[in-house]
Amino acid sequence: MPKGKKVTVIGTGNFGSTVAFILAMNGTCHNVILRGRNIDMARGKALDMSQAANAARQHTVVRAATEAKDIAGSDVVVITAGAARSPGMSRDDLLIKNANIVRDYAKEIKEFAPEAVVVVVSNPLDVMTHVVLQETGFPRERVLGMAGILDSARMAHFIFEKLNYGAGQIRATVMGGHGDTMVPLPKFTTVAGVPIQDVLSQDEIDEIIEKTKNGGAQIVNLLGDGSAYYAPAKSTVVMVDAILKDMNQIHSCAVSLDGEYGYSNVVSGVPTMIGANGAEKIIEMTLSESQAKRFSKSVASVKDMVTTLEDLNFFDK
Amino acid sequence: MVGRKVGIVGAGFVGATAAYSLTMHGTCHEVVLYDIASDLAMGKAIDIGQSTSYSPQGTIVTAATDASDLKDCDVVVITAGVPRKGDMTREDLLMINAKIMKDVVTNVMKYSPNAIILCVSNPLDVMTYVIHKMTGWDRRRIIGMAGALDSARMAYQIHKKVGYGSGQIKAIVIGDHGQNMIPLPEISTVGGVPLTQIISKDEMQEIIAKTKEGGAEIVKHLGTSAYYAPGRSVAVMVEAILDDSRIVIASSVLLDGEYGYKDVTVGVPIVLGAKGIEKIIELEFDDETQKKFDTSVASITEGIDVLKENNFFSE
Repeated sequence: MPKGKKVTVIGTGNFGSTVAFILAMNGTCHNVILRGRNIDMARGKALDMSQAANAARQHTVVRAATEAKDIAGSDVVVITAGAARSPGMSRDDLLIKNANIVRDYAKEIKEFAPEAVVVVVSNPLDVMTHVVLQETGFPRERVLGMAGILDSARMAHFIFEKLNYGAGQIRATVMGGHGDTMVPLPKFTTVAGVPIQDVLSQDEIDEIIEKTKNGGAQIVNLLGDGSAYYAPAKSTVVMVDAILKDMNQIHSCAVSLDGEYGYSNVVSGVPTMIGANGAEKIIEMTLSESQAKRFSKSVASVKDMVTTLEDLNFFDK
Repeated sequence: MVGRKVGIVGAGFVGATAAYSLTMHGTCHEVVLYDIASDLAMGKAIDIGQSTSYSPQGTIVTAATDASDLKDCDVVVITAGVPRKGDMTREDLLMINAKIMKDVVTNVMKYSPNAIILCVSNPLDVMTYVIHKMTGWDRRRIIGMAGALDSARMAYQIHKKVGYGSGQIKAIVIGDHGQNMIPLPEISTVGGVPLTQIISKDEMQEIIAKTKEGGAEIVKHLGTSAYYAPGRSVAVMVEAILDDSRIVIASSVLLDGEYGYKDVTVGVPIVLGAKGIEKIIELEFDDETQKKFDTSVASITEGIDVLKENNFFSE
């Protein structure tokens, strides 16, 4: 029997709130649960958003979770919890702190929403996805990290800044880790089907890639307090949409590799077909030598961080 | 810009479906349907107008009772023309539709002299050329809708082949809107993944063949031409013009040196915005694609020459 969809958003900061708000404004699902440490904050935002949904003539109801079991029956759980990166702080600094926070929520999901597809957005993204996978023991299809969609969106924006046309039609393909170690694929990047190499010079493309890599840091520096959340939230909703509507769409997502691209038991961003069961298929592309090299560097940096956690016996606890 | 008014000449299936799509998306404030069969235009305008109670903007849909009702349109879509009937030669059809264009264009020039014209009448590239010649307007303001539709049909075929990525497929078709159209699977992508990484060369050839047959396949089933995808493709282009969204879309435009051709209309990627054609994008062709493009242009020139030989432009 069909039933209304339920999405839990863990973390009630700017990122989580914006995810919940977009879901409510679009009427993507009937129920949204906000789960965070500060329950009054979650309640306040949930009320505000439920009222906004009425103004938008949408059916979505947003509620706060007062205890862990309120997430039961979720089709999708989005984990945004974690400390934000402050200026000057590297992604590595966040590692231990966020691994502990994320693990606690992963335990809740395992107990109360064992059927859910989990979308991880906490940073450092690839490692946090690995932590959730380890803690829940879910099949790898049901634990996905959101990064590639955001990096693609940022790259598309910088391409638009250069072209001054094609907004909304630019499809940039990005693989590998999130941020500094991402692997942009300009050869596979198009404006409404026109390869960017036909409309931009190599110098311009290189400049765009640099800007994309620094895209997150640029916003952190400008905001002074906290990191970006509009584009990250929308990128997350793209994944939630694809799961809830079983869209079988291709997006670059962080998934645990199992032999694909020659790697195993490590999370990295690759083109993935997303449907109702999560990451239903991983697309293996033929990489050029230099692309493969950059990808291997990206994978190595994720492995390094996992090793850091292992050395601290994080996974034994 | 006053009212964001769109005129649609020809209230047949394509024109009416375009009007319906514009209305359901709330793209403009007013749509005027004009047809020599004025009851047809009136009936459809009333029906579409009554659906706007549930549309986002409450777009007003009216039928023109006289050509003067096409006054001050921001965009005029021309779908008028007759289909080819049994005993008609290709030459007969060209002459009949070119004459219809002449009548329509006279009215558009008189009542909406600042409009941008979207041509949908067939044979598409030649009719777009006729409108250029008749108006003498800045070439940026006259655009033929073909690539938008053919690219959508190609994306459909790609989805049928790969089984995923619906709504995420970027395909592009250039050249004429006929047998010599040039689908470009080698630069098509599914969610950013190149088609070349997903399917074989043979499968790409199959997609090319099916894309070219796209219109005929529907005629075979319906006994008449398609109109949902054409109508939606028109609406997308109108939206781009009214919103000045500067999208890249393959369209039939008058070349003036681009791709090495002059004084011929053919489908190439353009940037579409408030001024019409904001830019013509020149793709780099390999030898094979260049050859196909030359053949395609030649087929359009042939049609234009038929009109010239019949003294159409000198009358």
